[in-house]
Amino acid sequence: MPMYQNGEVDSAVKALEARQDEIMRKLYELKAAVEGLAKTVTTPDADLDLTVSSSLSSQSSCFKGTTDLDMQLGKDIGALRDIVINANPTQPPLTLLVLHSLLCQRYRVLSTVHVHSSVSGVPPQLLSCLGPRHADSYARHMFQLGFTLIWKDVPKLQMKFSVQNMCPIEGEASVARFLFKLLAPYPSDPAVATLVDSWVDTAFFQLAEGSAKERAAVLRALNSALGRTPWLSGSEFTLADVACYCCVLRSGSASAAPANVQRWIKSCENLGHFSPAKLLLQ
Amino acid sequence: MTKEDVQGATEEEQQAQSKKALKKQQKEAEKAAKKAEKQAKQAAEQQSTEEDDFAKDRYGVSAMVQSQQKLDRTLVRVQDLTAEKADQLIWLRARVHTSRAKGKQCFLVLRQQQFNVQALVAVGDRASKQMVKFAANITKESIVDVEAAVRKVEQKIESCSQQDVELHIERIFVISQAEARLPLQLEDAVRPDGDGEEEGRATVNQDTKLDNRVIDLRTTTSQAIFRLQSGVCQLFRDTLTQKGFVEIQTPKIISAASEGGANVFTVSYFKTSAYLAQSPQLYKQMCICADFDKVFCVGPVFRAEDSNTHRHLTEFVGLDIEMAFNYHYHEVIDSITDTMVQIFKGLRDNFQTEIQTVNKQFPSEPFKFLEPTLRLEYTEAVAMLHEAGVEMGDEDDLSTPNEKLLGRLVKEKYDTDFYVLDKYPLAVRPFYTMPDPNNPKYSNSYDMFMRGEEILSGAQRIHDAQLLTDRATHHQIDLEKIKAYIDSFRYGAPPHGGGGIGLERVCMLYLGLHNVRQTSMFPRDPKRLTP
Repeated sequence: MPMYQNGEVDSAVKALEARQDEIMRKLYELKAAVEGLAKTVTTPDADLDLTVSSSLSSQSSCFKGTTDLDMQLGKDIGALRDIVINANPTQPPLTLLVLHSLLCQRYRVLSTVHVHSSVSGVPPQLLSCLGPRHADSYARHMFQLGFTLIWKDVPKLQMKFSVQNMCPIEGEASVARFLFKLLAPYPSDPAVATLVDSWVDTAFFQLAEGSAKERAAVLRALNSALGRTPWLSGSEFTLADVACYCCVLRSGSASAAPANVQRWIKSCENLGHFSPAKLLLQ
Repeated sequence: MTKEDVQGATEEEQQAQSKKALKKQQKEAEKAAKKAEKQAKQAAEQQSTEEDDFAKDRYGVSAMVQSQQKLDRTLVRVQDLTAEKADQLIWLRARVHTSRAKGKQCFLVLRQQQFNVQALVAVGDRASKQMVKFAANITKESIVDVEAAVRKVEQKIESCSQQDVELHIERIFVISQAEARLPLQLEDAVRPDGDGEEEGRATVNQDTKLDNRVIDLRTTTSQAIFRLQSGVCQLFRDTLTQKGFVEIQTPKIISAASEGGANVFTVSYFKTSAYLAQSPQLYKQMCICADFDKVFCVGPVFRAEDSNTHRHLTEFVGLDIEMAFNYHYHEVIDSITDTMVQIFKGLRDNFQTEIQTVNKQFPSEPFKFLEPTLRLEYTEAVAMLHEAGVEMGDEDDLSTPNEKLLGRLVKEKYDTDFYVLDKYPLAVRPFYTMPDPNNPKYSNSYDMFMRGEEILSGAQRIHDAQLLTDRATHHQIDLEKIKAYIDSFRYGAPPHGGGGIGLERVCMLYLGLHNVRQTSMFPRDPKRLTP
């Protein structure tokens, strides 16, 4: 049978191609579904008696909550709201890099990295830690939020936002809390909210700065908490998980962690939010 | 004895004479006697010196250097006098900064540019009493040739730049004698403002310094300022040359004012008149149209503005840049800001001594900057000012106080003394400024600021003859007068942008000084034409 008749494709061939395409499409769908299932098996939510769909929705709702920039940061000033973070290159703020990539999924963020004249010889991976430059970065007014990271000789990480109304915020933990609130509201239950806060403190004061003994104690505490609930502060992924994960990673004690912590680390990694932090540690 | 004799005689013999005449006579006689006595003494002394002075060929005022002979003598530089040179016999030429005689010793501070060293002439087997006296009498600021032995000192000499050694002088000859009275003292000229009042000591005011600029330029502070200024020029040239720029020279006598005629100097030019260039703007742009791609120019710029402020001069050195770009004028901003950052870095790394010397007299915070340079948009700046309680319209130009306030706000938030303000309102910029394609109220223009003061004003220029004509008409400019300028864009012109910086302002603001005259070697302003 000739394939072409008067330059026209035979209808039988067309039908065959359509059927083949359909089969391929179904195969891809199947593959995606299997991959999704595999992920949720290692994610703690799967341990709960919940269906796959509900666990997925709870995850996504965490970062698509009803936060509004006008509500969080005050009325629209008709110009870029620029968050300035001064960080010391000897201690890159992993948590903030993770939160930055989450903010980028949520808002149009203009990210810039600068080097202050007080430091020199900043390694190249720190200069590119906020990812490649946005294609529209020449027009600042097109963005909702500015994220300006300045590598500077500061004793303590520092955030400056509204110079007129706010004093500079010091410490990575405090800045992380501020940024996380732009992504999702804090748990409404005061007990849970306090629990989140206390885990964040534990992460920065004991895991990141503590002795080997203190670190081991925190790992034990993490292990017992993670035996009860899938995430550190219950059934939802919160700032507590971000902070603890980053500090465990930085302290280099991930490989020696107990079983529940190991499982939780895998779950965190499955969410895919932590690649900027991991890249920096390599 | 003679006095008494004379007195007695007059009393006895000439009692009839009036008392006045008597007194007069008496005095004259006294004087004559004293004079004779003195002369005799001096003659005796001279004789004795000529006889006793074993070192008389080791000092003196040497004959005027008229290039009679070419001595094979190496003159060591004062800055090279370190502990390594200890116990060597060296020659050097320097100025006498101060001298202090003390019995059989005379201490001198010998200065060469910003460096100085302590020297000592002491009576001994090398120097005579007369030589010490001669050394002590050399006037300040005289230039001397000295042969001396370098000796290590046990205690550091805090008052000198060479702290580890002192010189034991064996020969000293005056090459050029300074007049005894100086119009100003160097110590007074470098004294920080506050100190003078506390100790009740004199400071020299700006006008006196400028009137006697040659002496004022010898001070350590001036030496440091102008060495740093030379560094700025050098770094500017080096950086741009590395980026593939070509240095051009443009005429300063021009036939028509480039930006409005109000503030130009008119000079008579044979049978007609001409103007002194306000900026090399036209010529830079013509070079771009002539395919030079990236050009820069270092040269004098004239402004006939009658403004007597701390930051205006009527003649200053302009560092001008113009470059063709591919698609977006931010390529130009990036190029200029990178050049500035390279200059700042070069100064920070290579001119630390000079910066500290200036800081001793004029204390200021070190200059801070970000790399890459911070760029804000005009709307953001207006929002920041609104937030700080300033009332201004969205399209108003920034007033000088607002500029300074904005500088403080930016410093507060970003901790940088250098930033770019982009997207100025079209209405406040010259006619050749390219409008913003997205919002016709704004333009593709930018200013750069150092410590809250504008140092550069630049923009993407209109390279289309038609649009240029339209904009000129809109600004009510006589098209006939700028015909040559517009015509240069008719035969194919690449998109381009640029800007010009004032060298004196950059130095002033980098060092945190308060008056641009301090960084101009021979400043010109509406009230000063000399020296």
